Amino acid sequence: MSAPGASGARQFWRRLRTQRAALVAAVVVALLVLVALAAPLLTAIEGQDPTTYHPSLVDSARGGVPIGSFGGVSADHWLGVEPQTGRDLFARLVYGARVSLGVALAATVVQVAIGVVVGVAAALGSRWVDQLLSRFTDVIVAMPLMIMALALLAIVPSSFPRPVLVALVIGLIAWGSIAKIVRAQTLTLKGLDYVAAARLSGWRTWRIAVRELLPGLAAPVITYAALLIPQNITVEAALSFLGVGVKPPTPSWGQMLTAADVWYQAAPQYLLLPAGALFVTVLALTVLGDGVRTALDPRAASRLRVGTGRKREAKA
Amino acid sequence: MSGFGGFALRRTVGAVVTLFAISVIVYVVFYVTPGNVAQITCGPRCSPAQVQQVAEQLHLNDPLYTQYWHFLQGLVVGQDYSTGTSVEHCSAPCLGLSYQSDQQVTALILAKLPVSLSLVFGAMVLWLILGVGTGVLSAWRRGRLTERLLTGVTLAGVATPVFVIGLVLMIVVCGQFQLLPFPQYVAFTDDPEQWAWNLLLPWLSLALIEAAAFARLTRAAMLETLAEDHIRTFRAYGVGERSVIGRHALRGALAPVIALNANNFGSAVGGAVLTETLFGLPGIGQELVHAVNVVDLPVVVGMVLVIGFFVVVANVVADVLYAVADRRVVLA
Amino acid sequence: MRQPSVIARRVAAASVSLVVAAGAAACGPEDNDAKAAGGDSTPHKGGTLTVLNSNPQEDFDPARLYTSGGGNVPSLVFRTLTTRNRENGEAGAEVVPDLATDTGRPNKDATVWTYTLKEGLKYEDGTKITSADIKYGIERSFAPELSGGAPYLRDWLVGAADYQGPYKDKKGLSAIETPDERTIVFHLNKPEGEFPYLATQTQFTPVPKSKDTGTKYEEHPVSSGPYKVVSNENDGERLVLERNTYWSASTDAERKAYPDKVDVRSGLDSSVINQRLSSSQGADAAAVTTDTNLGPAELAKVTGDKDLAARVGTGHFGYTNYIAFNPTIKPFDNAKVRQAISYAIDRSSVINAAGGSALAEPATTFLPNQKSFGYEPYDLFPAGKAGNAAKAKELLAQAGYKNGLTVTLTHSNAKDFETSPEIATAIQDALKKAGITVKLQGLEENDYSDKIHNVKTEPGFFLAHWGADWPSGGPFLAPIFDGRQIVKDGANFNTGLLDDKSVNAEIDAINKLTDLDAAAERWGALDKKIGEQALTVPLFHPVYKRLYGKDIKNVVISDWTGVLDISQVAVK
Repeated sequence: MSAPGASGARQFWRRLRTQRAALVAAVVVALLVLVALAAPLLTAIEGQDPTTYHPSLVDSARGGVPIGSFGGVSADHWLGVEPQTGRDLFARLVYGARVSLGVALAATVVQVAIGVVVGVAAALGSRWVDQLLSRFTDVIVAMPLMIMALALLAIVPSSFPRPVLVALVIGLIAWGSIAKIVRAQTLTLKGLDYVAAARLSGWRTWRIAVRELLPGLAAPVITYAALLIPQNITVEAALSFLGVGVKPPTPSWGQMLTAADVWYQAAPQYLLLPAGALFVTVLALTVLGDGVRTALDPRAASRLRVGTGRKREAKA
Repeated sequence: MSGFGGFALRRTVGAVVTLFAISVIVYVVFYVTPGNVAQITCGPRCSPAQVQQVAEQLHLNDPLYTQYWHFLQGLVVGQDYSTGTSVEHCSAPCLGLSYQSDQQVTALILAKLPVSLSLVFGAMVLWLILGVGTGVLSAWRRGRLTERLLTGVTLAGVATPVFVIGLVLMIVVCGQFQLLPFPQYVAFTDDPEQWAWNLLLPWLSLALIEAAAFARLTRAAMLETLAEDHIRTFRAYGVGERSVIGRHALRGALAPVIALNANNFGSAVGGAVLTETLFGLPGIGQELVHAVNVVDLPVVVGMVLVIGFFVVVANVVADVLYAVADRRVVLA
Repeated sequence: MRQPSVIARRVAAASVSLVVAAGAAACGPEDNDAKAAGGDSTPHKGGTLTVLNSNPQEDFDPARLYTSGGGNVPSLVFRTLTTRNRENGEAGAEVVPDLATDTGRPNKDATVWTYTLKEGLKYEDGTKITSADIKYGIERSFAPELSGGAPYLRDWLVGAADYQGPYKDKKGLSAIETPDERTIVFHLNKPEGEFPYLATQTQFTPVPKSKDTGTKYEEHPVSSGPYKVVSNENDGERLVLERNTYWSASTDAERKAYPDKVDVRSGLDSSVINQRLSSSQGADAAAVTTDTNLGPAELAKVTGDKDLAARVGTGHFGYTNYIAFNPTIKPFDNAKVRQAISYAIDRSSVINAAGGSALAEPATTFLPNQKSFGYEPYDLFPAGKAGNAAKAKELLAQAGYKNGLTVTLTHSNAKDFETSPEIATAIQDALKKAGITVKLQGLEENDYSDKIHNVKTEPGFFLAHWGADWPSGGPFLAPIFDGRQIVKDGANFNTGLLDDKSVNAEIDAINKLTDLDAAAERWGALDKKIGEQALTVPLFHPVYKRLYGKDIKNVVISDWTGVLDISQVAVK
């Protein structure tokens, strides 16, 4: 079974195109990215910005609940306003997308990069390399993420750009699991016939890693990375909950969720908006991740024939 | 069994080295964390002279390596300390005294650990059932409505922070419909039934976050295995679909699931900070966040070490199970 | 989530854990509703009172507690020489005798205070309470092992500055004399007309020397009050108190002690506490909280529900949230800049960010808006409701900033709606209209607290708050504005670094007064005089609203603490 070579990219796109769900998901993800990038433009069209207070739009005597139905939805404020401050929710949501997606993506890239390098090196290296890297991974995995993040975020001066810092901290602390998964998967692959054959034919380790293992690792790594992105969005939220996330007035979905959870009864839309945005993002990323995995996997073609859901898949 | 003996020895040494490294890292990280420990301990309005007295009392003026050396000494031979009216002994392995409350850290950990373990064990059972179950079903029912629904539910778990899920669950289940009492930790040894009822919502909240990862992993690994030649051979020989899925494909998924589970179990013992906080469960995570906030170094180090211990042990267990589950792997 | 206790925060927490005050007018309607809803409103003895709290009672040693007026739960176990009057509103801001027969007899210049103990006072084990035990209790609060209390005893008692407590220094404090078992005399190094207020703090609790176990004493402190500690789990996470049979109502006019048992459960999330109190099922029907206020979101829900609204206690604690300037840092050395910012403040935005008009009242004075503090209304730089941007611009132009200016506002990252990011962004937004660009510098709580209370690192422009150690102008103004209280090498609270001879002299003069009403009036005048210097911009005074369970009766909320007094509550 050969790994995807130069023609792999075309093959990949051809396979991806055959999956309707993945295509829809790709469109959704693209839209989300677009919305995030075009946030200033969109809010300009609406005529609002994410930081201006509108004290007249909230009922101060009732804790600052938005005045009007559906959380103060109006022609001026498409999704209503934030309780207490009266800031425009649409603007905060689209600006929040920038921070949340950006931080989560950046953190995931860091995690995956470190995780794959460490995991593959550990599995393919000598016993000593494996011992050293595995112990190091153990140390990283065994440190409670939240606690270390709390400490690190307190140490770095507040002048350092916060979103970058949050992404780095998450990325640098939380790569342990992916390294372990990659190591485990690599060990499994190492035992498989085609890799063994490659080793027997005298290929060098790095060549085996690149040509034979990486494609095999792509499936679990992408599946896992698709989960890491939303997890990282929620880690950012949790850090906000603990008071060390992205700093106000910069909005992020995590921060919005943190502020909104207590408003679940009094102003439900305040919670539902960021929660819904997050859900759509997670769903789209996961389905897309799945699609990409199927398209990447050189063995997917055979599965399309033997897989249990083959009739439906054939139609798709 | 010399292979296994060697394995055990290597991993034990590895675990000790890992924990040692963790304690050093934590010491250094918290040493440079901002916050005047003596002032925080002494109180907001303490005079400089009093703060100085407290700093001496807590040996905060000693250089970092001296403080760390005292910590190691305490671990190995224990240490004596004064309550003011008498001298008490904290026997080895002594993790020191909390700056804030003067309690022995070991005692503090022993009090909090059952809570965290109760939470994580129960949640683990749930997340395995939910996660692996969903994974198997969706591999089997691939592309059908069942799969989509299950995928949606598990993803909602990932997509929603636990403080939102937990609070909404509590408001709806305990507040609106009054199906369960508001969670309040009851020790298993006091009343096992109350223990379970009170922990049900925390278990569910925690499990929902973790389940999706297992579902995806199980599904991916199963599909992987289903595509392999030996499964094709089984099918060709007319082995039933249920058996293919249940016995053979699931077996292929076992290894990564076990690895992930060990990993998550370990980190959840101290990492379920938000769940413990929200539900008011007096566990390790909740205490740890508090200790971090007041820069209570002995408590932080002690608790991080305990969490590290669980993670390390969980990983060794995982490696053994992993080898048993997948005979192709050799213990190394 | 239990949050860090940072310096200023701890003052707040300590004081918050004690109080409630509703002006009689403000809390009247709720009380009436509660009575109407409860049917038979007469309180009866018996039952179990549940207390749902977020912060565990980690310190339960009278030496270590920092309270205003003796605390809420602590005051069920610890009696003190004097205590706060357990009445609604303004009357509750008075100091009354507790273990002593009166609130103290001063000598002519208020430097010597004498107290006599009531007869028949006993501990939970039936032994007699003596004046020597009170002296010992105060002495042990000087031990570094038991640090945490307020600074006044050390500052006021003769020769106490370097005293290290009875464990290291067996001789004891010569400033406290106990000529006989029932008499105790305090010698102060300067006149202090407010000594009776200080004697309400838990350091004035008797501690029998033979029962002192040092740092372990808090596990089971010996009770002098109506309840004793039956169990104390996990360092104050769960406290169970039952009746102290040796306590007698005949010697205690203040504590009603209706319930037979008090069960304090803590470590709970604040939104869960409020949810449980509003559901009020099972044991929660007889529950109160002594540390959790209703937040804005919960208030929005409660105000829409008549039954719930009837179960809200409203109170005012002497507390001010403000902006502080450090006049040694440019451009805040220029009074015109400070005034311009005062004019530009949009208090309605700030109040909304703090929870809305029901949870915060606009402040234009540094002193809390209560009579006992000597409150005298003034508004020296009127900003109106939404800020006076024009006037601010004019002043800035005079100060040489025609084209506006850029400043950095330092705040904490706490989630307390006080020095937190929400308030800072509201100010940022308001100052924009006056041409002032505000950059925000958010610091982690410990860092924030260290920086603002250290003269070397103090920022120029930051959010701060101050709470009353007792309801009087003295402890409210002196630590912040007395030049002799500037601390160069430790925690400094005089953040404006004001050292004005006439202010210092007036503080000394008022401290000599033993007529507390006369003193209050002069504190009010002094506040206005200091206000002219625009070293602070008062923002708001908080209003405390707390839910209680549906079986709770006899809710008393004084202006001293601003929160319901647990010693008055009945569950039957």
